[in-house]
Amino acid sequence: MKSKSKSTFFVVVLITAALAYVAFYGLHLGSINIKGANEMRYGIDIRGGVSATYTPKDLNRAPTAAELASARTIIETRMDAQNITDREITVDDTNGAILVRFPWKSDEANFDPQAAISELGETALLTFRDPDGNVVLEGADVKTSYASYDQTNASYVVVLELTDTGSTKFSEATKSLVGKVLAIYMDDTEISSPTVEEQISGGIATITNQESLATAKDLSDKINSSALPFSMIANDANIISPTLGSDAPAIMVLAGEIAFALVCLFMLFYYRLPGLVACVALSLQVVGQLLALSVPQFTLTLPGIAGVILSIGMGVDANVIVSERIKEELNSGKTLRSAIEAGFHRAFSSVFDGNITVIIVSIVLIIFGSGSMLSFGYTLLCGVLMNFIAGVTASRLMISSLACYKPLQKPYLFGARRIAG
Amino acid sequence: MKVINFFKQRYVYFAISICIILTGVVFAMVNGIKLDIQFQGGSILKYTYVGTIDSEEAGNLVETALGKTTNAQEQTTVAKDEQMLLISLADNEAITSQQQQTVTSTLTAAYPDANLTLAESLSVQPFTGARFFRNGIIAIFLSFGLILLYVGYRFKKIGGFSAGFMAIVALFHDAFGGTAVFIIFKIPLNDSFIAAVLTIIGFSINDTIVIYDRIRENKTLMGPKTTTEELVNTSITQSMSRSINTNIAVFLSITIVYIFAQVYNIESIKDFALPMMFGTVSGCYSTICIAGPLWTMWKNHQAKSGLKKA
Repeated sequence: MKSKSKSTFFVVVLITAALAYVAFYGLHLGSINIKGANEMRYGIDIRGGVSATYTPKDLNRAPTAAELASARTIIETRMDAQNITDREITVDDTNGAILVRFPWKSDEANFDPQAAISELGETALLTFRDPDGNVVLEGADVKTSYASYDQTNASYVVVLELTDTGSTKFSEATKSLVGKVLAIYMDDTEISSPTVEEQISGGIATITNQESLATAKDLSDKINSSALPFSMIANDANIISPTLGSDAPAIMVLAGEIAFALVCLFMLFYYRLPGLVACVALSLQVVGQLLALSVPQFTLTLPGIAGVILSIGMGVDANVIVSERIKEELNSGKTLRSAIEAGFHRAFSSVFDGNITVIIVSIVLIIFGSGSMLSFGYTLLCGVLMNFIAGVTASRLMISSLACYKPLQKPYLFGARRIAG
Repeated sequence: MKVINFFKQRYVYFAISICIILTGVVFAMVNGIKLDIQFQGGSILKYTYVGTIDSEEAGNLVETALGKTTNAQEQTTVAKDEQMLLISLADNEAITSQQQQTVTSTLTAAYPDANLTLAESLSVQPFTGARFFRNGIIAIFLSFGLILLYVGYRFKKIGGFSAGFMAIVALFHDAFGGTAVFIIFKIPLNDSFIAAVLTIIGFSINDTIVIYDRIRENKTLMGPKTTTEELVNTSITQSMSRSINTNIAVFLSITIVYIFAQVYNIESIKDFALPMMFGTVSGCYSTICIAGPLWTMWKNHQAKSGLKKA
């Protein structure tokens, strides 16, 4: 038992080092793919970008969920066309708004974010074009469109109901286009290219062979988007140029490293052996926090970085309380082993209660906070949870293991006046 | 270890705290409490440029183009040696991206050689801002409520509710202290404010809990004959070096962050770190000098009225 626990300190150090390696450089093993620190997802306040909330323009009622879904597909199609794939689009049904966030990369010198925001919200122009590019039908000719399941062919289809003028136009066009492609465009982006199988004159057309219900619904949403009775405007918008925030992460990381190094020096100087253990525990805590950000690709904003630095402070507290307690117990005449046991035992309740209250605050922040507050609450929560693992459990294992070594059983290594034999 | 009598000096501490709070109130009346457009609503556009631009003229141009009251200001950032033109719209009005384009095109047409580039823009509708602010305030008060419940439950042994209540008094003290920093340094209240206040609350309650924990433990160790005053003084003295060391570490970290943010002009971090620096000190102080003595007074009062009844 004794020899087994003796090496625990080194096991914890190795685990910490291994996790640190994964957190900084990532891990790509088969299906496991953890992104490293350099591939961290940063918020627009760090790397620059656009955040805009679109609401219907001049609409005196709340938009329906279907209308918002259509508006969303317009925005998505346009962003696809501009090759903006790294984006977040959220539909807020209760407030009738669509939230769009995307980065503004520093190599895009000619990018005009204001124009981009305006264009995304404009009404979509839907056209049906023959192989020569002639427009044969427009969005206004489509009454409605929906996804459906075709029993006879056992496949998903998109049904288009045309207006009266639409059916006449469509009937004429399909007559000469049998066997040819009739492509559907949103603005200048091709969204579907079905082949005309026969002349369609009933005012109802179907686009067959859709892969799934989802793809069929996506296409019908896009077709419906032209029937959207409003355009979207962005009154709430935030644009940050990449040059403004580009140095910020590096600077904050440097600040964090210096703060961390100073805290470690302070702990080593003041608490000696328990201080050394505290440094390892703090490293483990920070590494765990980084992984909690990079594994789910959680967006890290500037306040989020502040949250990380702050929870280092919380982590220090747990270690300070424990180290102080061990010192007290030693001075009261306990043996090293029982002083460590008693120190952790007595420190636990206060570390536990302190951490739980901070967890309560951080959860409240996650629920009510938006954007930067959310990021702050999340990093703080992860930090405090990691503190339970690193600052309480891992610290205890490490100190107990180091205390097994004879040369380390010196009072001054624990900052105490004596160690009872 | 010599027990320090914190209780004896309580009125000095109370006076110091009241002075700090009053300073905040006076500054609030003089400076006014400024909400950032994040909460108040409005629009601001920042451009970098070279050469010289008469900001008043630029403001007038934009005002004519948009038909809305506009205010323009010049700003120089020290670290980056850049000149900035700030265009803000009065009356908390939010403008659309189309109107923003108008601002940009008006200015670039008027100053073709200035190499005007949009650095940042923020536009928030008043009702959206109000919603954010409301959520932030709800978050703060909900945290207070939950902390009161939790402390009340966990510290039943030392009269849960009274302990929880005094912890909340200390929290208000620190939240006011943090807010006062925003007001005195004229930092508009934005979401950094909410984050800073919530962090201060978190730290402050942690400090208070560590002391309460010691009181809870000592109550058993020291026996029923000990007076509340003795119990509290001993507990605070015993946890003194922990309180100081933890706060040195936290204060050190935050100060380094603040220095970096200040030097490199990272506004969002700067606005957050400065109130935090004061907040950590206040959190430590309020626990030792406010929550402990107040709780002792409460207990003594209870004991006295209990005696009278008996």
